[in-house]
Amino acid sequence: MRPSGHDVKGTVTSGGDGRRRSRRDWLDPLLVVLALLLLWELASALGWLRPVRFPAPSRLASSLWELTVSGYPTGVTLDTHFAITMQRILGGFLAAVALAVPLGLLIGWFPLLDRLTGTIVAFCRSVATLSLLPIALVWFGTGEASKMFLIGYGCFWVMLSNVIAAVKQVDPVLVRAARTMDAASFDLFLSVVIPSALPRILSGARIALGVGFMVIVGAEMIGTIIGLGALIMEARTFYRSDITLVGMIVLGALGFVFTTGLERLEARLLPWRVRQGGGPS
Amino acid sequence: MRTAVASSGAGAIGVATLLLAWEVVARLVWQDPQVLPSPSQCLAAAWRHLSMQELAVHVSVSLGRVLGGFGLAAVAGIALGITAGWYRGFGRIVRPILELLRPIPPLAWIPMAIIWFGLGEPSKWFVIFLGAFFPIFTNAWRGMTAIPPAILDAARTMDVDGAELLLRVAVPAALPDIATGLRVGFSLAFGILVAAELIAADRGMGYLVMQSRELGQLGVAVFGVLLIGIVSLVADSALAAALRRVAGRGPAG
Repeated sequence: MRPSGHDVKGTVTSGGDGRRRSRRDWLDPLLVVLALLLLWELASALGWLRPVRFPAPSRLASSLWELTVSGYPTGVTLDTHFAITMQRILGGFLAAVALAVPLGLLIGWFPLLDRLTGTIVAFCRSVATLSLLPIALVWFGTGEASKMFLIGYGCFWVMLSNVIAAVKQVDPVLVRAARTMDAASFDLFLSVVIPSALPRILSGARIALGVGFMVIVGAEMIGTIIGLGALIMEARTFYRSDITLVGMIVLGALGFVFTTGLERLEARLLPWRVRQGGGPS
Repeated sequence: MRTAVASSGAGAIGVATLLLAWEVVARLVWQDPQVLPSPSQCLAAAWRHLSMQELAVHVSVSLGRVLGGFGLAAVAGIALGITAGWYRGFGRIVRPILELLRPIPPLAWIPMAIIWFGLGEPSKWFVIFLGAFFPIFTNAWRGMTAIPPAILDAARTMDVDGAELLLRVAVPAALPDIATGLRVGFSLAFGILVAAELIAADRGMGYLVMQSRELGQLGVAVFGVLLIGIVSLVADSALAAALRRVAGRGPAG
């Protein structure tokens, strides 16, 4: 093992092996993961790992097949769980975006409004979304509405604070320049403020969707047996940890596809975008 | 300075207006404290049903869980992140595994945590640990790999090398990133704590909220939600202040 400094210099001086390096970029991780899976399988076959605690990879593959074909609980196949979870996440997320964007533009544009609401936004954002679960049950019952409310709540405040920050960080020089060119205030908003706030708004949307993925698992743990979050809890109750692990893998893959997809979309739509952190929730 | 005072004054006015509106709507429009208790009704319910002692137990149990899981995550995440960022060979082995696990939502580990560790404290620590670990690790790793080579080269020309180079030059250069990771991890830890306490617990603030609903004391439940928010805000700003002292500058946000 060499300290990184040498490596860094190595890449700078030896330009020739760029192709080999890029193949290494995906080959190495693949080998590591394959080796790990092999070890895991071997340890299970030798009886070192208890099947309930660590089901072997081959077992997970057959469970995935079972889940896709006959479903768990019987009859509820993976695509149903998947579709329901997606529906809940997107429903709550889109409602939150639809509310947060206009409100955030308004608050961000008027400094007085921003000062009045600043504390409220910061506080509501730091309220742990899932602590509202019991209250959501009282207000909306155990059905779909309470799950969408929870996802919507989590997404809304993250989205709102990012939209506000996006409008506030629009370069005042740009705004003044537009004013000197006699742009009316609504025109100014449409043609100057929104375009320059857009990158931050989009990364806010990406972060909010990530929050949605986190909240959904908790929201589905109570009062339903359909949905990926419900699936993994339900399977545990019956000691089907293999099904639980398959559900976790699907959830992870889903989250990965969405966040990288949105990142790519951002890069494509806004190639001039500078990297900005949006902050967590 | 004056703007800071003005803005916190305006913030207080905003909060007061909201509380007043809530009070009025709850008492005059909705008129059903079982569905929408007003702020004063929440406080009164909490006063009636909770002793100071119980409250202190719930808060301290929850804080203990967060600090336990977060503390483990901070130690493991920083140590692994620095090692993986400094020794590239080690990084090439560790990172693919962690990148594979990272997209799994922390709460999705709850069932496995129960299978592995039972229903007691360790399973809660584990889930909170997982939530906080990934951002801490990733930021520490990124901080280590983003150190400008010129800094390291400059140190080498002054005959600083080996462990001294790592500890006295590289790690301090990565500190701001490490601090960012700690803050992100901490706020995640709080969100996860509540979920872990909703599922299986007999004490803690998340349990308080869940239990109050089951007893039909919605006022206490709302009080609990606000309490969790306040405690997490206070803890977060304490961490931010501590990190500012250590890392020199606080991360934004």
